[in-house]
Amino acid sequence: MTAAAVRRRGRTDRGGRFIVPLLVVMGLTSIYPSLFSLYMSFYDWNWGERFNFVGLANYLELLGSERFRTGLLNTFVFTISAVTIELLLGLGIALAVHRLGWGAGMVRTLLLVPLMVSGIIVSMIWKIMLDPTLGIVGYAAGLLGLPRLGFLGDPAMAMASIVMIDTWWQTAFVFIVLSAGLRALPEEPFEAAEVDGASAWQRFRYITLPLLRPVVLVVLLFRTIDCMKVFAIIFGTTGGGPLTTTESVQVQAYRIAFKQLNMSESMTMMVIFAVIVLGVVLVYQRLGAARELVR
Amino acid sequence: MTAFLASRRLRRRASLAVASTVTLVALVGTLFPLFWLFVISTKLPRDAFKTPPDLLYVPDFSKYLSIWQTAGFGRAFVSSVIVVLLGVLIALAVATPAAYAIVRLRVRGGRYLRLWLLLAYATPEFLFVIPMYVLYQQAGLYDTQVGLAFIYQVFAVPFAVWLVQAFFAELPHELGDAARVDGASELQTLLRVYLPLAAPGLAATAILVGINMWNEVTIALALTFDQGRTVTVAVAGFRGYAAIRWQEMTAAAVVAVIPMVIFAGLAQRYIVKGLTFGAVK
Repeated sequence: MTAAAVRRRGRTDRGGRFIVPLLVVMGLTSIYPSLFSLYMSFYDWNWGERFNFVGLANYLELLGSERFRTGLLNTFVFTISAVTIELLLGLGIALAVHRLGWGAGMVRTLLLVPLMVSGIIVSMIWKIMLDPTLGIVGYAAGLLGLPRLGFLGDPAMAMASIVMIDTWWQTAFVFIVLSAGLRALPEEPFEAAEVDGASAWQRFRYITLPLLRPVVLVVLLFRTIDCMKVFAIIFGTTGGGPLTTTESVQVQAYRIAFKQLNMSESMTMMVIFAVIVLGVVLVYQRLGAARELVR
Repeated sequence: MTAFLASRRLRRRASLAVASTVTLVALVGTLFPLFWLFVISTKLPRDAFKTPPDLLYVPDFSKYLSIWQTAGFGRAFVSSVIVVLLGVLIALAVATPAAYAIVRLRVRGGRYLRLWLLLAYATPEFLFVIPMYVLYQQAGLYDTQVGLAFIYQVFAVPFAVWLVQAFFAELPHELGDAARVDGASELQTLLRVYLPLAAPGLAATAILVGINMWNEVTIALALTFDQGRTVTVAVAGFRGYAAIRWQEMTAAAVVAVIPMVIFAGLAQRYIVKGLTFGAVK
């Protein structure tokens, strides 16, 4: 064995000690309960009523359940709409504030505030503002001659309203990360492009966007994760209604576990959903997102 | 040539005008709902939802005092403070040595360790919350601050590891090497060299992790009921049985938000760095 190899090995062993607390804590909070859910998904367990081994019956039942499919569909519709809108809006605002120069620091601080507000408070704010008869948004729309809208109470508009609420809440995250990305861009390529007579659009399309790619991927990854897990802003506003138009998977799991006390069905549901979410995360990781997190 | 320059100047002015307009709209759109929350909290119930709203009114701040005596809000506030302090302490104690090992030492299977952290962070809450609801009832941890602070680690530890590792990575490698030449152990190097130098970053990490815990709803809703109830759950609790007590509820919300905004202001310089996890140098 070479001296370098000995030293490397010594360092490897020393590194191990430093992660023991992490292994213990993460094992108990992440692995152990997840395995418990997996185990229980093979049982029919209604709290206080029955507890029987049923094999794959829960899975078969859920895969055939229209309500579960609706929940999955709602979650995907919400995630794709919210992430797309937030990315475009956040990028637009980041470019605008970047162009501004003067006062940009102050603007950034103010735009950051919604991120510090709890989801349950966000829902409360928008329930007040979007109330169909008493809300200020409906009143303002009336002044502009627009018809009275139902917002969260209208089956056709409820999901769009939830997306809008999330946009208000989380666009700041996209904005702040892209804003930092823009400020870190090198100046030389832009100067060269200007000398060569490239238009503003060409500079944006062929210099800014490619250079921003890693930062955009990080933003997309974290927004996608958060959106797929959506719970608080739905729980606090529509509770999944009207009908099931805004019922995301997590809202469904909450209802089944804590209202119907059907523990095994909710756990099976979460096992299926977690596999989907983690699959999406792995795809992102393959695309090179989270390079700083998983080298 | 002059025409070219003139059109260029014109275009620059136009782009500045567009940028200013976008910024202004974003600011108003962002801040108005928060302002409205505050307005509702200072209006008597009969005036709060009048249309058109009264532009001039005598603000009533009485609810900012009375909420502390109602619906267990005061107790929930204290409960949240305990959860956050305890939770942040555990998260930093666990994440700091791990981040040090990741940045400076080789850890066997380190790549998989980090992938695990990402997946654990991404796991939808109810996968582990529903079993924890069962397990905590048996272990006597249901509805306690300790139980909540502990389960919060599932998102707090990965988040803290990413932040601390980004701050550690900024410190020059030579520092640790010099300490080793002087005979310091890795633990001594971490405690005497890395911790003091990364102190502002660690403080910012504590603040960001604390804000996340303070604002958490999903887990707290499922794992607390009365004694361990946190401030966000208590705010939702003002819905009451008969009618929603909007003025109290909004006042409680303002009280819950303000400390977070202040903390964010304190750590502002590091928040951007934190939120990008070092993806932006």
